Amino acid sequence: MQLSKNTKVSFLFLFVGIISFIFADFSISTLEPFLELKKFSFAIFQIDFSQTTKLFPALFNTISIAILAMFFATIFGFLLALAFENFFVRISLAFTRAIHELFWALIFLQIFGLNTLTALLAITIPYSAILAKVYAEILQEHDSFPKELKGKSKVSYYVYTKIPDALPHLISYTFYRFECALRSTAILGFVGITTLGYYLSSSFMQGYYNEVWLLLILFYIVIATIRFWLTKYSVGFIVLASFFYLEEFPSIKIDNFIRFITSDIIPHPIRTNAGYEKTFEWFSNIFTNEILIGVFNTILLTQIALVLTAILALISFPFISLKFTNKFGRAIAHMFLVVLRSTPEYIIAYIFLQMFGPSMLPAALALMLHNGAIIAFLMGQQTNELNLRQDVTKKKNELYFYEVLPRIYSQFLAFLFYRWEIIMRESAILGILGVATLGFFIDSAIADFRLDKMMLLLVITAMLNIAIDMISRKTRNYLKVEQSITSCGCDLK
Amino acid sequence: MKNIAFSFTNESISYNSLLAIDSITLEIKEGEKIALLGKSGSGKSTLLKRMYELQEEKSSYIPQELGLVNNLSVFHNVYISQLDSNSLFYNIRNLIMPVKNEISNISNILSKLLLEDKIFIKSQNLSGGQKQRVAIARALYSQKKILLADEPVSALDEYLSKKVVNILSTSYETVICTLHNVDLALENFDRVIGLKNGKLLLDKRCEDLTQEDRENLYHAVE
Repeated sequence: MQLSKNTKVSFLFLFVGIISFIFADFSISTLEPFLELKKFSFAIFQIDFSQTTKLFPALFNTISIAILAMFFATIFGFLLALAFENFFVRISLAFTRAIHELFWALIFLQIFGLNTLTALLAITIPYSAILAKVYAEILQEHDSFPKELKGKSKVSYYVYTKIPDALPHLISYTFYRFECALRSTAILGFVGITTLGYYLSSSFMQGYYNEVWLLLILFYIVIATIRFWLTKYSVGFIVLASFFYLEEFPSIKIDNFIRFITSDIIPHPIRTNAGYEKTFEWFSNIFTNEILIGVFNTILLTQIALVLTAILALISFPFISLKFTNKFGRAIAHMFLVVLRSTPEYIIAYIFLQMFGPSMLPAALALMLHNGAIIAFLMGQQTNELNLRQDVTKKKNELYFYEVLPRIYSQFLAFLFYRWEIIMRESAILGILGVATLGFFIDSAIADFRLDKMMLLLVITAMLNIAIDMISRKTRNYLKVEQSITSCGCDLK
Repeated sequence: MKNIAFSFTNESISYNSLLAIDSITLEIKEGEKIALLGKSGSGKSTLLKRMYELQEEKSSYIPQELGLVNNLSVFHNVYISQLDSNSLFYNIRNLIMPVKNEISNISNILSKLLLEDKIFIKSQNLSGGQKQRVAIARALYSQKKILLADEPVSALDEYLSKKVVNILSTSYETVICTLHNVDLALENFDRVIGLKNGKLLLDKRCEDLTQEDRENLYHAVE
């Protein structure tokens, strides 16, 4: 039997996912998981909207940090995009991107303590690197002006020919990134910075589920209305206002920074000149007890989450597609997908963790829901653009399997592979919640104040991410799916 | 005695082992107005591009694909040809807030091309013929001595074609223009060069053309 490349790759990933599932721990350790889930779900009907003003600080803090971080990241990102041709710049940015913003926050916590500066750096640094890459790609794609006509004043021509055509795409990606920045800033609350996540986890611990819902709903409103409150007229004012809102910038303790770079993160045996043998022992201990387990679990969780994401996307995209669902049904499905899309994986995982106890289950569910919603949304959009012939079958299942799915399957795989690296990054970070992925070991290293070990684990995490990114690119090339993406693929990167 | 603008001796140009220009010998003097005729694929564009490479400093070039910046207004698209003559600061200022002087110069050119009402419209919102005239305006605004135009009126109607070709042939000292309309060429230019399969088919002053030459030309462009 001749199998197409798409089918072969799909089966391979499905197979790896199933094998991973066998090794994974999916147990539920809480006594009455569904009672708690029920309590949480029903709390949505007990929301007390009079509490709204009490939660404003959480929202304003989150928005201000996200705004300022994006402000700086946009500037740095653009400048770095101009230097993206440079090999050294590209490598450093890949490395910076590969480390999750929550890990960056943990690093800066050690240097600057719990404050706004830490939050700003934690978002600005990885976001600059991401923006630099995507800006560089956009600028490269938009060069319609003929080379022969370009004159000597390089900068003038750049400003007149490249920038205008790329600008709408740069702006729309920046908006999308700002939405991501809001989510990232929100979850910084889980490491103690007073953003949304902080209030969310404290409400949760106290069992004030209705307050959790209120926070989430306010957050959805903020995200859904970005286009209305962040416009070219208001942006200047909002940046300034954010700056003044976040007044307490600490004086930067440069000593701490120098100590961190020159001493804290240097492997202990090297720092104390304990010799080659001790150093090797230090490394091999961490390697066998933490790196191997951490990498194994991270990959396991990633592959399971990838398959679950694919399944959810395949099941749910018809519900937002013109070809399958009526207007009313689509509106409801849209609402669900927007909510799942807007909720950071970390928050979903946190909620499930409280219900089911620590295992891979909460993490896998969270990754599935968030990423599945994103891909389902994009697939639904793709199907709306399909032109099917007039006499196409009326049976929904035939339509799905014979007409629609074959036409968008390549795009579906492309979307999935774009999310792969992101799922991997999140899988590592979800370790902080107690699954033994790399994040778990990084978090414990910090708790023990063994920053040298933390650094080693971070480097491993980054390398794992870069490796996945490379495999994903290879796979996309092999399947030749790149050209099937018609949009800029904004929501994917 | 006028200076020589272009001179080719046994010139051959090939792309990916495909011979586009096959050992052509010709000489063009400054001040000549030349129509370059031939079917698509006869090598006209290749020859024109080669000429541009040889005299980049002195010539304005209108490529077939026009090369407009879609997201810029007509005004800025025309202004692009003056980027090298002004400072970076002035260019950026003019991008953000168009300078009065530039507006009046450019709207003068646009009015000749019946396009002055479109001056602040983005070029992506124009029709094919309007875009073509923007590219022509850009070439005119560069104020160079030689014009190298590749099918500059292919998307214009007969009335506009005549008007535009007339403007082009009188605005430059030396003009070399590819066309696919023999009559338009004979009316506005003083020399025609016919190409066929990369070879020189004919090269004569218009007044020296015989009836047979004309028929050959009509054949060559069909």
